[in-house]
This record gives sequence, C-alpha cells and structure tokens, in this order.
Amino acid sequence: MSEHCINVNGLVKTYGDLTAVNRISFQVNHGEILGILGPNGSGKTTTIKSILGLIRFDEGSISVHGLDAVRNRRKLLERTGAVLEGARNTYWYLSPRENLAYFAGSRGVSSGEATERADKLLKSLDLWDVADKEMRQFSAGMKQKCAIACAFIHDPDLLLLDEPTLGLDVAISRQLRAWLREMVNESGKTILITSHNMDFIESVCDRVLVMRKGEIVSHETVASLKKKFAGKYFSITLKNSPTDALISHLSELGGLSTEGNRLTLELASLDHLGSMVKALDDSRCGIEDFRTVENDLEDIFLNIIGDGEGNHEQNS
Amino acid sequence: MSKTLNLALAEAKLVFWSMKRYMLDTLAAIGIMFLIFMGMFWGVKTIGGSGVTGESLDDMLVGYVLWMSAMFCMQSTGSEITTESQRGTLEQLYLSPLGAHRVLFFRALMNMVFNFFFVTVLLYLSMAATGRWLSVNLPFLYAMVLLSTLSLVGISFMLGGISLIHKRIQALGGILSFGLIGLMLLPTYPMNACSFLPFIAGAALVRNTIVSGDSYPLWWYGFVAANSAFYLLAGLMIFKVFERRAMKLNKMGQY
Repeated sequence: MSEHCINVNGLVKTYGDLTAVNRISFQVNHGEILGILGPNGSGKTTTIKSILGLIRFDEGSISVHGLDAVRNRRKLLERTGAVLEGARNTYWYLSPRENLAYFAGSRGVSSGEATERADKLLKSLDLWDVADKEMRQFSAGMKQKCAIACAFIHDPDLLLLDEPTLGLDVAISRQLRAWLREMVNESGKTILITSHNMDFIESVCDRVLVMRKGEIVSHETVASLKKKFAGKYFSITLKNSPTDALISHLSELGGLSTEGNRLTLELASLDHLGSMVKALDDSRCGIEDFRTVENDLEDIFLNIIGDGEGNHEQNS
Repeated sequence: MSKTLNLALAEAKLVFWSMKRYMLDTLAAIGIMFLIFMGMFWGVKTIGGSGVTGESLDDMLVGYVLWMSAMFCMQSTGSEITTESQRGTLEQLYLSPLGAHRVLFFRALMNMVFNFFFVTVLLYLSMAATGRWLSVNLPFLYAMVLLSTLSLVGISFMLGGISLIHKRIQALGGILSFGLIGLMLLPTYPMNACSFLPFIAGAALVRNTIVSGDSYPLWWYGFVAANSAFYLLAGLMIFKVFERRAMKLNKMGQY
C-alpha cells in the first residue's frame, strides 16, 4: 500500500488568463477525512475534479493509491466515488433503489451484489421507508443522502464530496457527519470534503486545508488550527460608556469593535494581554462582564483568508 | 466482460424505467409518428391518384419506418448528453470505471432495441390502416436495420462530442435527420460514391429486399457492415477528441 491515499504535487490549472489552481501540493492519508475550505473561486472544485480526471490540468501530478491518476483513471474510478457540487448526481425521476441499481451496474457491479449493498446503504442512511418512492418528491437532504449512497454503491476506498451539506437542514447534516465518521472509523474509508459549512468540517474532519485564490494558505489539523488562534478574542461589557482614550488604546492592541458598552477585541498578540488589562483598569469605566471568546472554525477561516478583518462577529 | 454485461443490463433497466415513467409521452410519440405517416400516405394517394402503384406505397411505408429509426439513432447520443447535462448527471457517467463512451454506447444500443419495438408497433399500425400488408421478415429487418443504423450511432457520437462543448445541438441533429430523407433516395448499388455515405447503402438494401424482393451478393452485406463499422469508429474517435477538449475547458458539468 502506498504511503498516502492521494498525493497532489504542484497542481496547476488555468482557464485563459485565470489561474484556478496555482502549484498546490498536499497529501491525504489512508483512513482520514480531509476538509478543504475556501471562498467561492478558491479552486476547491477544480482540485476535486482534477483528482477525478473530470478536468485536464496543465501542470503537476496526482497519484491515488500510488498510481498516476491520469494514466490509471479507470482503474482508480473502481475504487473512488464522488458527489459533485451543483449537480443532481442522481436521477430524480427514479426511486433511490432504482438509482442504486443503475449506478451499481454502470460501475460494473453485478445485480445480486448491488441489491445486498443497496439494502445496507438504504437502511444505514435512513432511506429504507422511501426506497421505492420517486426522488422528485424528496427534500434536498434526502436527495443528497441518496447521492452519497450511490457514490458508495461500488464500495470505494476513497470518496470525494464537493459541498455535501449545501441546502441540508441541521438534523440531516448531523446524521451525515456521524455516518461519514462511521465509514472512516469502521470501514477505513478515506474522504476528501469541500464545504462552506465550518461546523460540519470542524466536527467531521481530521485535517483542514484552506485555499484562497488557487493557493493553499493553511494546512493543519483542526485541533492545531484552533490552538493557534485560541485565546486572542475577548468580549468585554463595561459598566459605563468607553472613553475615547480607552478605545484609542485598545485599538492599538488589535482589532476592536464596539457596540454601546460592549467591546470585542482581537489581540494582535497575547503579549498585549497585560496592556489590555491595564488600559481597562486605567479607564475607570468599570467591568461588568469579561470573557474569552472561543474561536470556531469560521472565525479562523475568515482570519486566514483575510476577508474577515474587523467585520466578523465573535461568538460568545 | 461480466462488468460490461452488468453495464449493458443497467442501461437496459434505465431505458425501460424512463419509458415506464414517461409512458404517456412514449405513447404520444408513437401516435404522432402514426398520424404523420397517415397524412403522408393519404396525401400521396390523393395527389398521385391512379399513378401511385402499390409498390411505391410499400416503398413509402418501409422508407418511413427506416427514416424514423435512422432519425432516432442519429440524435440518440447527442440528445442523451444534452439531457444528462441538463439533469446534472453527466459527470456521474464520466465516473464510471468502464468509460463514459461505453455507457453512452450501451445507452444508444438499448434505446435502439426499445425503439425497434415501437417501430414494429408503428409498422403494423400503418399496415393495418393502409390495408397494404407487407410480408415482413422481422428478424431480417431488425438485423439489417441494426447493422446499417450503427453508422448513425457513430454520427450521433460525433454530434454528442459537439454537444459536450456547445451543449444545445438539437437543431443540427434535426437538419441532418431531414437531410437523410434526400440521401435515402440516392442510388447506392452497384457501388458508387454515394455508397460510401453512412446508412443509405444499408437502407436501400433493406427497402429493396422487402419491397421489391431484390437480392444482393453476400459481399454487399459485408460492405454495409464495414460502412457501419467505419462510421461508428470514426464517431467514437471524434467524440473522444471533443471529450478531451471539454475536460480541458471544464465544460463537462456545465449547461
């Protein structure tokens, strides 16, 4: 077995003057879930489609299970499933069971084997009761679950999910993340996910790769990413209105936003902690409430891509 | 081999489920084809009067059925790609380890098989309505229509390739289909330049054998088969060229 499940090396893809992906390199280990975060146009989908061979890239190389993904595309597709963003991925005029039967056959799986796997997938994804109903009547979440089941029907080792939570309600999103985790923990699958849903990525992924304008700007585990940005956000409620001197002083220490007596401060460095306490004490405005704000992945993401400076809300 | 067979069965099921889901549309299509034929038949009889012979009416009947099959085959892959693209399922076909061209080929083949059934219904309906009963050797008819229309499946792959990039090509498919009516009147035997065009040598063979009882040497059947094989392979090769271009431009999932 090769060291990595996916090895992307120096990938470049351009469309005319636009560079969609610019010399990115990363690896996905066997049996892990890697999340790709990034704003629209950051190159997430181009990366996924390049791995799947749906896009011909300009430079670089991609290997999956140690095999060159371009030269061995069909062989790799036997072990790869995918749900693509912005596409239906399934036939809505058919039932989930018919879809599963079709996609199994189109991947070369025999009818008997397909029936057995379809039954398991329908049960585990809570689609059993609607297995014979036309999908057109389904909610977005149920359609998405069915698309994921179809991507799993040929029992692939690797699954690529492009925005799998788009339009899903909280309950189905939670069910999906538990199911995907189970697939990785129990069956050793490897999953690569792109999503705008930070909560989903945070709870399901082992590592996160952040992309911006076709480049990788961060590539770490969720825990180390959160640790890196931990303890720098503070929410302070004053007894009296903040003085101009206090606002001026705190602004020098980092990003500050005010709303009446409530201040939110992002320290540029934890070294400024003492200065912050001293400034608050000197101002004599009185402190009613003081708390450290726990960063969620969304804050970190905005911080990394540099779009969130000064205008994102802190969760308290 | 067994994987290819599983794919063929899956395509047969999909075509059957589609027809079942859209049964009313399928029946309406047969009804319209029948009405068009009857309109043509009575038109020719009325205008031609006593000058219209029984053989020319038979010729018209077989010609119409052949043209229907041909039109259907020629537009099959192009319209499948357009529909799959609109539905948002085209990229999933490209994730088949057996190759999208195989998926689309078996889709076209299964559509042809189901189409034969409807054409047979149309043929018998037309014979019953006109009172002209041809002695139709159905296995021969199917074998020969399949053999000759495979060349049009090749043309449909060429159109399919164009549709991967340009998406809507129904008008082009329509023009070519109607162009076929004129081409089917061209002489193809003994061998001449027209014999090398797709489909028409096979169509003439079917028509003349069934209507006039003509017989052809064995090598001519071989020639029809070679003609079909050539256009089918050429169509697949051209499709692959457009496919590579669509992948380069990231046009596969867009509509």
